[in-house]
Amino acid sequence: MKLLTHNFLSSHVKGVGPRGFPLRLQASEVRIMPVEFNPDFVARMIPKLSLGEVPTEPIQGYEQNEDFLRTMHHILLEVEVMEGTLQCPESGRVFPITRGIPNMLLSDEQTEA
Amino acid sequence: MSDIQEATNQLLDVNLHENQRSIQMTESGPGSESEHLQVTIGATVPTGFEQTAADEVREKLRSSCKISKDRGKIYFDISVESLAQVHCLRSVDNLFVVVQEFKDYQFKETKEEVLKDFEELAGKLSWSDPLKVWKINTNFKKKKTKHKKINQNSSKEKIDNGQGDKRDEKDVKKEFTNNALDSHILDYYEKPAIKEEISTLVGDDLASCKDETDESSKEETSPEVLKFRVTCNRAGEKHCFSSNEAARDFGGAVQDYFKWKADMTNFDVEVLLNIHNNEIIVGIALTEESLHRRNITHFGPTTLRSTLAYGMLRLCAPQPTDIIVDPMCGTGAIPIEDSSISPVHHPSFYLTVECLGKRKSCEALCSWMRGATEWANCFHIAGDNNPLAVNRAANNISSLLTKSQTKGKLSCGLPIDAIQWDICNLPLRTGSVDIIVTDMPFGKRMGSKKRNWNLYPACLWEMSRVCRPRTGRAALLTQDKKCFTKALSGMGHVWQKVHTVWVNIGGLHAAVYLLKRTPQAFVHPSEQDGGRTPW
Repeated sequence: MKLLTHNFLSSHVKGVGPRGFPLRLQASEVRIMPVEFNPDFVARMIPKLSLGEVPTEPIQGYEQNEDFLRTMHHILLEVEVMEGTLQCPESGRVFPITRGIPNMLLSDEQTEA
Repeated sequence: MSDIQEATNQLLDVNLHENQRSIQMTESGPGSESEHLQVTIGATVPTGFEQTAADEVREKLRSSCKISKDRGKIYFDISVESLAQVHCLRSVDNLFVVVQEFKDYQFKETKEEVLKDFEELAGKLSWSDPLKVWKINTNFKKKKTKHKKINQNSSKEKIDNGQGDKRDEKDVKKEFTNNALDSHILDYYEKPAIKEEISTLVGDDLASCKDETDESSKEETSPEVLKFRVTCNRAGEKHCFSSNEAARDFGGAVQDYFKWKADMTNFDVEVLLNIHNNEIIVGIALTEESLHRRNITHFGPTTLRSTLAYGMLRLCAPQPTDIIVDPMCGTGAIPIEDSSISPVHHPSFYLTVECLGKRKSCEALCSWMRGATEWANCFHIAGDNNPLAVNRAANNISSLLTKSQTKGKLSCGLPIDAIQWDICNLPLRTGSVDIIVTDMPFGKRMGSKKRNWNLYPACLWEMSRVCRPRTGRAALLTQDKKCFTKALSGMGHVWQKVHTVWVNIGGLHAAVYLLKRTPQAFVHPSEQDGGRTPW
């Protein structure tokens, strides 16, 4: 599971709503997988991410800052969590990550009505 | 070795680069060895998706199409060197080369006269060019399956010979080379199987006018006695003959003319006789009907499904950095056919949700991946609620990544992720997705119509939540049109129906609904009075 994906995942446990983001990630096994760097892609993806309480000033002009983009590229696309867990910050429900795939299935009681 | 590779790659670079170049392959060096054959190719596409297929052709082959509207066929002209790319088209099912088209054929009054005309027709058509194309195409396909080393060697020699003529072009092309994209193309074509085929294909063409005793083809077919069949499709009310009769008599004449052997099942050449009212098209098939052209290795047919998936995605017109959720459901098992990373159109972020129902497998997931790798530098996330399918996805992804790694190139790092989830309860942030492409369960083989009654509204509801308001869109395929329409009717505040494409999937009349997400933000039911239940 890439960290870019993680940014779009949110807990869907019943009653949790927007407080289910971000899922707490614990990785026991990580792999680094090189991916072609596309600065345009990274630059445009950043506004779509939910980065929490990040001050805006330092971010201005980030599109031209190649070092920043490369770092973001590495973090978002090249780091892969192979084994670990995702935890709902609100309910504490834990979702396992096995062989790079998170299992987000809930048992019936935990789904939304 | 590397020089030849480079030469091949440069040659291929020209053909493959759809957006960046307008230089056609036909403008090659003087006194070239190849004939630069121009042919008309016909392609069958899922009915309703003719325009999207035509768009793809224009994009990749730089060729405009004639569309046979609502009949699932498009026609376009290409130079025979582009044949390899034609096979790479994602929105077409079957290909054939047109021998002759009659726009307004005058049928005689009686059956006997009409059939007699067909007999005479066989001898009057100019078969040689289409047959050349067929030959090239057959060699191409054979080498794909047999991977003969011999061919690789002989083709390398041919490339060498042709190198002189092509050198001018190569130098010119170098200026346009975009390094990032180059490596994508190189990676695809460096896969040994593909490399062989393409170099052979190009080499064959270069040598086509040398002689017919090309050693690599000779050992496989003796050109004199081929086996053939005629397939006739007839539509129209005023015909006084049947398709069988036409096929029989036309076939008889073809047999006399070429001295080929007729064989309905084990044929080399399939001649197509397509009659639609007063329009007749005679063609030679380039793909096999029963085997989907993408079933190169060992998986079962998904034919329409992958072309359909691709067409549906194109309908949504992905924009740069669009986030795409693509749920696909299917049966059977397909390994991911190839990890081809085509030159990028737009960088996009893909999330695939594979989810509906319990009996799930990786097939649609993989077919989706194939379709979705079109827009390279994309990020794919495939999801399924079935652990088997998810495991298969994990295997596929690993093996793809391993393949990339062994090539020693960085560029193919596959931006694919897989997640196990349930479409009715997606673990995704609200309003984070730009495009949703999904294949709703039909309720025939999977699920049930009754189940759809609950499933459809729940799906639509959840999809409206994750889909970005105002700009988001969805392309949803279903056969259960009644249930879908009813489910949609209660959701006018979040989904607006933009377009419906009627498709025929293995005899089932299905529809692809193109929906647009309204500007209305998603309001969680718990925030409304009394909440909201599907029905």
